[in-house]
Amino acid sequence: MAEHHPVSDNKHKSSLNSGASYSGNGRSSTAVAERGSSAGAGGGGLSGGLSQPAGWQSLLSFTILFLAWLAGFSSRLFAVIRFESIIHEFDPWFNYRSTHHLTTNGFYEFLNWFDERAWYPLGRIVGGTVYPGLMVTAGLIHYVLNLLHITVHIRDVCVFLAPVFSGLTSISTFLLTRELWNQGAGLLAACFIAIVPGYISRSVAGSFDNEGIAIFALQFTYYLWVKSVKTGSVFWAIGCCLSYFYMVSAWGGYVFIINLIPLHVFVLLLMQRFSKRVYIAYSTFYIIGLVLSMQIPFVGFQPIRTSEHMAAAGVFVLLQVYAFLQYLKDRLTRQEFQTLFFLGVSLAAGVVFLSVIYLTYTAGLWFCIKNINDERVFVALYAISAVYFAGVMVRLMLTLTPVVCMLSAVAFSSVFEHYLGDDMKRQSPPTEDSSDEDDRKNAGNLYDKAGKVRKHVSEQEKAEEGLGPNIKSIVTMLMLMLLMMFAVHCTWVTSNAYSSPSVVLASYNHDGSRNILDDFREAYYWLRQNTDEHARVMSWWDYGYQIAGMANRTTLVDNNTWNNSHIALVGKAMSSNETAAYEIMRSLDVDYVLIIFGGVIGYSGDDINKFLWMVRIAEGEHPRDIRESDYFTPQGEFRVDKAGSPTLLNCLMYKMSYYRFGEMQLDFRTPPGFDRTRNAEIGNKDIKLKHLEEAFTSEHWLVRIYKVKKLENRDRVEHKQQGTDTTKQKYTSKKTAKRKRGYIKNKLSLKKGKKLAKKSL
Amino acid sequence: MTRRWTLFAACLLLLAAVSSEVSANGLVNEDVKRTVDLGTHLAKITAEIVLSNQGHSSVHSFVLAVEADLAPHLAYIGASVKGDEEEDGTLELEQTTIQGQSGEFYKVHLPSSLAAGAQLKAKVEMTFSHVLKPFPTHITQAERQLVVFQGNHYLYSPYPTRSQTTRVRLASKTVESYTKLGNPSKTDEIIEYGPFRDVAPFSEDTMKIHYENNTPFLTISSITRTIEVSHWGNIAVEETIDLRHTGAILKGPFSRYDYQRQSDSGISSVKSFKTILPASAQDVYYRDEIGNISTSHLQVLDDSVEVEVRPRFPLFGGWKTHYIIGYNLPSYEYLYTLGDQYALKMRLVDHVYDDQVIDSLTVKIILPEGARNINVETPYKITRMPNQLHYTYLDTFGRPVLVATKNNLVEQHIQDVVVHYNFNKILMLQEPLLVVGAFYILFFTVIIYVRLDFAITKDPAAEVRMKVASITEQVLTLVNKRLGLYRHMDEVVNRYKQSRDTGALNSGRKTLEADHRALTNEISSLQARLKAEGSDLADKVGEVQKLDVQVKDLVCRSCQEAERLVAGKVKKEAYIESEKTLTSKRQEFVSRIDSLLDAL
Repeated sequence: MAEHHPVSDNKHKSSLNSGASYSGNGRSSTAVAERGSSAGAGGGGLSGGLSQPAGWQSLLSFTILFLAWLAGFSSRLFAVIRFESIIHEFDPWFNYRSTHHLTTNGFYEFLNWFDERAWYPLGRIVGGTVYPGLMVTAGLIHYVLNLLHITVHIRDVCVFLAPVFSGLTSISTFLLTRELWNQGAGLLAACFIAIVPGYISRSVAGSFDNEGIAIFALQFTYYLWVKSVKTGSVFWAIGCCLSYFYMVSAWGGYVFIINLIPLHVFVLLLMQRFSKRVYIAYSTFYIIGLVLSMQIPFVGFQPIRTSEHMAAAGVFVLLQVYAFLQYLKDRLTRQEFQTLFFLGVSLAAGVVFLSVIYLTYTAGLWFCIKNINDERVFVALYAISAVYFAGVMVRLMLTLTPVVCMLSAVAFSSVFEHYLGDDMKRQSPPTEDSSDEDDRKNAGNLYDKAGKVRKHVSEQEKAEEGLGPNIKSIVTMLMLMLLMMFAVHCTWVTSNAYSSPSVVLASYNHDGSRNILDDFREAYYWLRQNTDEHARVMSWWDYGYQIAGMANRTTLVDNNTWNNSHIALVGKAMSSNETAAYEIMRSLDVDYVLIIFGGVIGYSGDDINKFLWMVRIAEGEHPRDIRESDYFTPQGEFRVDKAGSPTLLNCLMYKMSYYRFGEMQLDFRTPPGFDRTRNAEIGNKDIKLKHLEEAFTSEHWLVRIYKVKKLENRDRVEHKQQGTDTTKQKYTSKKTAKRKRGYIKNKLSLKKGKKLAKKSL
Repeated sequence: MTRRWTLFAACLLLLAAVSSEVSANGLVNEDVKRTVDLGTHLAKITAEIVLSNQGHSSVHSFVLAVEADLAPHLAYIGASVKGDEEEDGTLELEQTTIQGQSGEFYKVHLPSSLAAGAQLKAKVEMTFSHVLKPFPTHITQAERQLVVFQGNHYLYSPYPTRSQTTRVRLASKTVESYTKLGNPSKTDEIIEYGPFRDVAPFSEDTMKIHYENNTPFLTISSITRTIEVSHWGNIAVEETIDLRHTGAILKGPFSRYDYQRQSDSGISSVKSFKTILPASAQDVYYRDEIGNISTSHLQVLDDSVEVEVRPRFPLFGGWKTHYIIGYNLPSYEYLYTLGDQYALKMRLVDHVYDDQVIDSLTVKIILPEGARNINVETPYKITRMPNQLHYTYLDTFGRPVLVATKNNLVEQHIQDVVVHYNFNKILMLQEPLLVVGAFYILFFTVIIYVRLDFAITKDPAAEVRMKVASITEQVLTLVNKRLGLYRHMDEVVNRYKQSRDTGALNSGRKTLEADHRALTNEISSLQARLKAEGSDLADKVGEVQKLDVQVKDLVCRSCQEAERLVAGKVKKEAYIESEKTLTSKRQEFVSRIDSLLDAL
């Protein structure tokens, strides 16, 4: 016990001040765990006693949070500094476009928006198929800023929204971790989450996506939930509902919350930790949260219909039954039969519930955790379910990130509590003089002095424990090194892996100078400026949002991918031969076809490399017309060179990609028509297009756009007619035959006879 | 002879315009040298006219005429007198009409009247836009661009002309056809007509030239130039430009392969052009709706900043693009001030590319908030729109925006506009004060919020708890202080053992006693207060007090032991023995106190 005191002393000196005294009125760090539940004291510590230690503490934590925010914000700016303030990737372009629509046309227009420029000819009801939280947030910020005459363009609001929200996330993580452990761990967690790559990957500047704000909403909802469980106050529960509402409006990941919170309640019930607080918190949360979440058009009646929301409803019912039982227990003292009956029912329900939904969890797990209390059960559940989700889908790694940050912060915090005290002692040998000196230095800071005394005492205890100062300092140094390397690693990963807009590519020359390949925007902007406003562009769905956002043209399929048969139709067009494709394209009113071709610069993410997916999806819907096996060589290889399958070499995608590429010699060592991406000389160099014509190709051939020709007035004859004897076989209609009678040299009489015979008939 | 001609001319004029002014003054174009420059996408017609007054009275003005066909395309007309001196005097023009004659007429006011019989050399410059019509109107990528110009062989003038020549300068040697009035001579890019003698007034004869012209047919279909003046030392200029290639429209495919491999493929297309910005231009940006256009280059020269503007894609006939270019200028170069009076002198329109044509220009000049008595001097006539208000950072009542528009501008229109206005310098303080005020309010609100209790319910238990907590806090510090005293005492004793200074020991003991008493009293008063609050912690504090008495006892005893040791009353071994027991006892008590404190 006594060994903790130097720690709190030390923490005043180091910036990582522990939150111990925060809730315990600056007294002792160990009391927190038990006292944490009495939130009144925690609140009183700050506002009531503005004595100096508390003042310093709040200043310090404020500073650290501010710095965490700043660090989180600035480490997300790599892309902006290296390139420009631009929206990244694919989905963010849609979000940006809808936000733009929102700001120009207003909220109700946005909710009722029918986008006729997507999924031609079907269109898309945007207002009812998006989580509007992101757009509304950005639009609101833009509106407020413009109200204050801060003339920021909506694009900049969108670009910087995620980095700004990362700061809010770190603050809510701080709050949550403080509730769970202590203030020191909270601050550590805030610092971790500010720079952790797992979260940065979805929230760099320009990555204007739902996750950017949803993680904040997630953490904040959890904080408010823990708070409401702790206090049992309706106020916090309502706050939790509002935050949950925001989360529902922002991201489909709200399902995670609506399952985790009931799970928490359920486990609390199992652990005999039912209390009025839990009852109030969950009943309020469930009812109001349910009603609020149904206000989002995209969610609608799902919360009472679909299976993933049923756990919450089940727990709600269970909780009511349990509470009722408790009530009965109090009232009907000796009616054991009845009680047993009800207990049996609820137990049965519980067992069913457990076996159906949470089969993977074992109850004993919870007891592994020391010093268990309500909110720590929560974080344990959070961790385990997040691991589960991350295992199911890699993208949900995102939900795992915050809890990993929190838990590691707790771990670090407790390790430091254990070991950091010694560090202090090593620096200042425990002679009375020096400690007195220290006292004088911290004149007025009596709390420090208290620590000194105890240190004297604890020293002997620690010595008995056999933890030499060397080991302690080594451990501390190791920990610090670890933290430092973590920061370095985070920065490195962020700058290398997550800071490319992917709309703009960059290549580096031998001398380190940079070439910017801006082909995407070149082609999109060409479409925007030089095609008809209502032109319909066919491309693979990956580029749908970008075409809509940057080129402002109608697309057939986009990243929403809600209609598989439509996508399959596009895939079929791409994988059929030109004539068949032309029919499909005409039936879809396609004016232009856009493809990505990386063969010139060696860009591997191009359409030929994605081509097999188009074939597969097309085969899924049209198995009679498209067969994947046709696109492979007999050996089962996918090749674009001479050995490739003839179906591939004559399909539309191949033709469009390599049109006139066969003439192009990239350098002297390779033959003309050498594809740098696939390192092969293409197999079909003499590509003629009949129904398409090249409309635009970007500078590095990355984007190629073809125009679909209109039907000709009459079909051109494929081959030139043979010389003289064709005249004999020439078909002559009755009318012209009559008129040209005199010109016909041969078989005049015979024909005449025939015709007469016909006429008589 | 001369008189007869004059008479004839006069008769003609009388027939043509019965009551017009022209007939009255007997002006005659003695000698006219016309140059028709068709080397670019503009038609620049310059005429050097020797004008003689053959009337009876002196003349103060003469009239320039523009053909009815070309008049709608007239972008610029200017006249100057070629004096004997080097300096050419630019003359003032005023649009007028002549009854019964089609076309546009400009009355040129002479600086000094032209006496009867005197002569004058005048130079007239006219620039026409969109008069070179591509023919064929659609070409493929491989084809060259041919254009047709239709003009007049003669100088269109209300006065008879004695002698004139017309020289046509083309863009290339390749000429498909040209009218052959008077057997013109053609060498390379130049066709020379004339000389024609004694041409009647208002005579027209169609000159038609069909030739190859691959110069960039770029047209700025609209430009919005925004000039934002800040009194904090900066002028921000931003131009939003819609650009179109108005040459022959591209037909058929655009092949990047041909464009990259063959130098003459797409010869009439525009890859890039140069924009010249003022020398002090800084922070130049070049972007469009979807972000920065990364294909530009900037070159800072001594007297200008050159931007190589390269659109995202090459512009072929009929293609268009749209971009924004902007930069900052230091205001001291363009803003003049005298007291409260300010004058902004800037280019109304600036260079975009050589031989530029602007179909529609909108200029917006944003003056600082609070500018009054605004007065604009434009170099030429321009349509003023009603003023607007613009709100930007920290604005409260808006900045006045002057808006003006004009159509059909060319390079000659790059001239300065002067805006005079009054501005009270005190208003400069408004914005900083606004920020200060906002922060003041923010901090004040926080202070108020922190100080006041906004709880709607009183929680007496929590209050008591807080009170108790603060008392225990004090108790803790006091107890710790007291324990510190003992440590200090130990130190004193140690020192005494070495120095054997009884006085120091005694004084140390005295201070210990005194401090200890004071602290103990304080603690017991706090204990009483705790009791009053009804907290059970009071008992614990009591226990601490009891233990402390024992600790103090021990301290005193160790002190006495030390005295005895120094006095030689005990042996060293015995002393060490007793000291050990004393210390261990003390340790025990202290740890008990500690645990009690922890439980507080």
